[in-house]
Amino acid sequence: MDALGDPTRRQVFELLRSGPRSVGDLAAELPVSRPAVSQHLRVLENAGLVTHHPVGTRHLYELNGNGVVELRAWIEGFWDEALARFKAAAENKGGTT
Amino acid sequence: MSDALVIEAVRKTITVDCTVEEAFRVFTTDASSWWPVETHSIHGNDVSEIVFEQHEGGDVYEVSAGGEKGHWGTVIAWEPPGRLVLGWNILKREAIGTEVEVRFTAEAEGTRVELEHRGWETIAEDSAAKRDDYDTGWDHVLGFYERRIG
Repeated sequence: MDALGDPTRRQVFELLRSGPRSVGDLAAELPVSRPAVSQHLRVLENAGLVTHHPVGTRHLYELNGNGVVELRAWIEGFWDEALARFKAAAENKGGTT
Repeated sequence: MSDALVIEAVRKTITVDCTVEEAFRVFTTDASSWWPVETHSIHGNDVSEIVFEQHEGGDVYEVSAGGEKGHWGTVIAWEPPGRLVLGWNILKREAIGTEVEVRFTAEAEGTRVELEHRGWETIAEDSAAKRDDYDTGWDHVLGFYERRIG
């Protein structure tokens, strides 16, 4: 569950929080190409964070839910990793034994 | 908007083998030594420093190798060595923030570190508000369309 670990994917996620968008809309607001945006959307979709549906001739991507539950789950995993690293750093520098 | 929305805080407790003072110092002043910047920062591997301004209202930010600042949040409570509360903007600086409270308590084997990351409701409400704006926008656009057709 590290679909949100990539900064560009987090930006895509953030943009989708304000409503559905097409690949072109997203690419216009990000410093990456349309194929790159598509790739990021695929990762987000595989992780269950994003869904898409056709509207006319294009596809609109949107968050699966309001995104908060996913964000919270991502942060929960983040703290597990961060605190393990914090513990190692704290014990390395200030061990009482 | 969901008035009664409650999303449970993320809570973590660990014990570290060092003094309370050292634990607080490493968590804040020495955050660069452990924070996973490669996945959880604005500049990624390019982060050279993480700064906690050591007072209430102070900024928490990263500095890139090129000297650019990336704002993470604000110090809400700075009470060394026992307690720290941060307002943390997870997604980007303008986003409505969540709160991270960290407590450091002396124990026989070292220091108990309890972390609580709360305030998810504000993000949910922010999402709902953004969505409402978007929906209203479409109503507006479709209104023009209908008038033209009609």
